[in-house]
Amino acid sequence: VKFVDEFRDAELGQVLAGEILASVEPGRHYKVMEVCGGHTHSIYKYGVDDLLPANVELVHGPGCPVCVIPMGRVDDGIAVAEEPGVIFTCFGDMMRVPGSRGTLLEAKADGADVRMVYSPLDALRIARSNPDRQVVFFAIGFETTAPSTALTLKRAKAEGLTNFSCMCSHVTIVPPLRALLDSPDLRLDGFIGPGHVSTVVGARPFEFIPAAYGKPVVIAGFEPLDILQAIQMILVQLREGRCEVENQYKRVVPYEGNQRALEVMAEVFELRPHFEWRGLGFISHSGLKLSEAYADFDAELRFSTPGIRVADPKACQCGEVLKGVIKPWECKVFGTACTPERPIGTCMVSSEGACAAYYNFGRFAREREVV
Amino acid sequence: MKVLRVRDGLALCEDESGKHHTVELALVDAGAGDQVLVHAGVALVTL
Repeated sequence: VKFVDEFRDAELGQVLAGEILASVEPGRHYKVMEVCGGHTHSIYKYGVDDLLPANVELVHGPGCPVCVIPMGRVDDGIAVAEEPGVIFTCFGDMMRVPGSRGTLLEAKADGADVRMVYSPLDALRIARSNPDRQVVFFAIGFETTAPSTALTLKRAKAEGLTNFSCMCSHVTIVPPLRALLDSPDLRLDGFIGPGHVSTVVGARPFEFIPAAYGKPVVIAGFEPLDILQAIQMILVQLREGRCEVENQYKRVVPYEGNQRALEVMAEVFELRPHFEWRGLGFISHSGLKLSEAYADFDAELRFSTPGIRVADPKACQCGEVLKGVIKPWECKVFGTACTPERPIGTCMVSSEGACAAYYNFGRFAREREVV
Repeated sequence: MKVLRVRDGLALCEDESGKHHTVELALVDAGAGDQVLVHAGVALVTL
């Protein structure tokens, strides 16, 4: 197939569903985690899970960049946004993530100059146009987004801009996967690997999953047939007793990733000793900060931030959702106190969040019979 | 997105709805007419 509508072909989907059914052992329950929030969104948008046998369960992983930002980090962003003369820029989803003192959108309503951008390059443009203001970019996201921040900071440095800085909250995908695999809460049979992160890091960083944990990984694209084929490839590996990293998304993902992106990230960022993830707690070497060479652009050095850890609201169960321990509809506030219009938890904010995907595509409850 | 033209490492690209975007091309080899995968204003892969 070549064109996008072919990747959404219902008849081909039924063929793949038949192959999946033929690959499962009746009586065995399979748990497959899709790591990436983009996959979660596609699965519910296109009803991919409706094509699966009842004993193949999809578990939603921590790959939504907005969902993993803890409340304290939002409070830090709001504190910087409220500094006099600051223009605070961030992606649109981030404006609606609740901290303990509200959201960046509410800070904007209260008078802070908070602006939505589509890329860090937009923030740089704002800095060039406002030389008498301090412009801060709230950088979030995995290895897919981090190269964009890195290139922007390289440009800012080359131009000698002194009114641009970055509050770096980028995270990396491998440490949380390792944490999940080490968690006694969760028994997984395989992983649908993240498609776009893998365009940057390649497939090699996931080799530890089959090597050390004996679980197959299939890196997948985001169309419904991509996801169905990835599930089928995982089930075939399990049936044949194989365990390796396979790349279903070869039309986009090179096995070695994008070396130029990795080099620019290595120049601009370094690993933090530890970083707090919403629901997962502190994970070692899982977050990025600016390297010494780019410290002049570090907003956390330029401005003071509270830096206080804030516990999630008691009613919110984003942590259990992010770990795949419960389904979104099992959360006490799902669809009642917590909706996309008035989110309590981060998983309801972003369209890539599992709760928002369930809510937006009508998965308020789900009962399935095991074949 | 389709690359329309390139200048100073930045590309003018057109998305599938015909909207134009400025895209950083530093991470890929691409020229006018190529299709690129863009994330947060940066081309990550030439398709």
